[in-house]
Amino acid sequence: MSDNSIITRSIPALAITGAVGLVVAQYFIWVYAPVEATMGILQKIFYFHLPLAWWGLISFFVVFCSSLVFLISKNPFMDRLSQSAAEVGLLFSGLALATGTLWARAAWNIWWTWDPRLSTTLVMWFIYAGYLVLRQSIDNPHKMRAVCAVLGVVAFLNVPLVFLSARMWRSIHPAVFGSRGGGLEPEMMTTVLVCIAAWGILTAGILFYRVRQLDLKDRIRNLFIF
Amino acid sequence: MNIRFFCLTRKDLKLIFSGGSGIIQPVLLGLILVFVFSLSTPIGEEVSAQAAASIFWLATSFALILVFNTLYSMEEINQARTGLLLSPMPLQLVWLSKAFSGLILLLLAQLFFFPATIVFLGQESVAGWWNLLGVIILVDWGLVAVGSLLGAVSQGHAARDSLLSVVIFPLLIPLLLAGIRMGAHLLGDAGDENLSAWAGIAFSFGAVFTGAAIILFPFVYNEY
Repeated sequence: MSDNSIITRSIPALAITGAVGLVVAQYFIWVYAPVEATMGILQKIFYFHLPLAWWGLISFFVVFCSSLVFLISKNPFMDRLSQSAAEVGLLFSGLALATGTLWARAAWNIWWTWDPRLSTTLVMWFIYAGYLVLRQSIDNPHKMRAVCAVLGVVAFLNVPLVFLSARMWRSIHPAVFGSRGGGLEPEMMTTVLVCIAAWGILTAGILFYRVRQLDLKDRIRNLFIF
Repeated sequence: MNIRFFCLTRKDLKLIFSGGSGIIQPVLLGLILVFVFSLSTPIGEEVSAQAAASIFWLATSFALILVFNTLYSMEEINQARTGLLLSPMPLQLVWLSKAFSGLILLLLAQLFFFPATIVFLGQESVAGWWNLLGVIILVDWGLVAVGSLLGAVSQGHAARDSLLSVVIFPLLIPLLLAGIRMGAHLLGDAGDENLSAWAGIAFSFGAVFTGAAIILFPFVYNEY
């Protein structure tokens, strides 16, 4: 059980560091980073939106990797990691979609655009929501783990195709806004990196905490079975 | 191995058609969808080629769910799945035969959907019947690859249709986008010039999920 002991010991450190990091990030967002010339203070939602989107998609990648390892090794820890990462990814990508929608409405007076990154995030949100529904629907734990691992692998294989098709689809509909890639002020880039790091540490803390919860749940369940 | 594949396919198709109800539900559901969506446009107003293609592929997707639920539920009766698992053949043959059976059933259902699309959605021009057939088969390949891989997942549950829908539909989005754009072009919408790219998306989807299914199907279709 060395995996679990490492995880258990790291949870408090990650949680505290993540919390402190987010507090520090607030200084960078509201004091250090300049106000963007075109969108004004509204642009600062970007410092929440981007880390949420990144860590959401990275969580989905963790689901893919842990599902692959589970199919090979049948290690239940990998299944718990898959479930935890899917839940965290679903939460973070949902928040990324919500912040992106609010930003689009406030900045460009539209609720939704066919931006390939937003579209990919939305499709992945649906896929992993289905993944979690599937987990709850199968009673046999051995079948559930195997089937969900397969879905975890297949879901991520779909990501490049979803992104490409969304980008091609958008070329039919003219973009409402110009590309926002590149051209960040150095202070803004620093702020983005601080936010990504802070959210990353918090994500790891939440993930490990959830893995620990699922491990305890399995242990309690096994106590009543045997 | 060829004989086993054809035996499995023949077995499935005979059971589907002897029962009588196997193909009727998907066809009826698809026709109802086409009809209901035709009501979304005011009378006299044209339905765009893209909208018509979207409705056609949506009807096909719902038919896909019912087809593969039916195909995989047949072995749940009398524990016949154990017989398949014990037979001396690779499990991937089961996936392949179910996919092929599903393709035949889906094409049969689309034989009804397509005229309904023309009639109820007012599509006057079809550019290239052979191209259209090629597009339908190309997209159907991807549909049945995913449907056959995940069709076994929802068996044994009362809500298997809705469960399979929730799992499969988001995965199909890139393929459906490709089918819609190519279908719209062949129904007279000349707006998109990038057909080869969309065909590439559909081909890649079919290839990726066929490869994934060959490797992953034994994990899905097993005795747990």
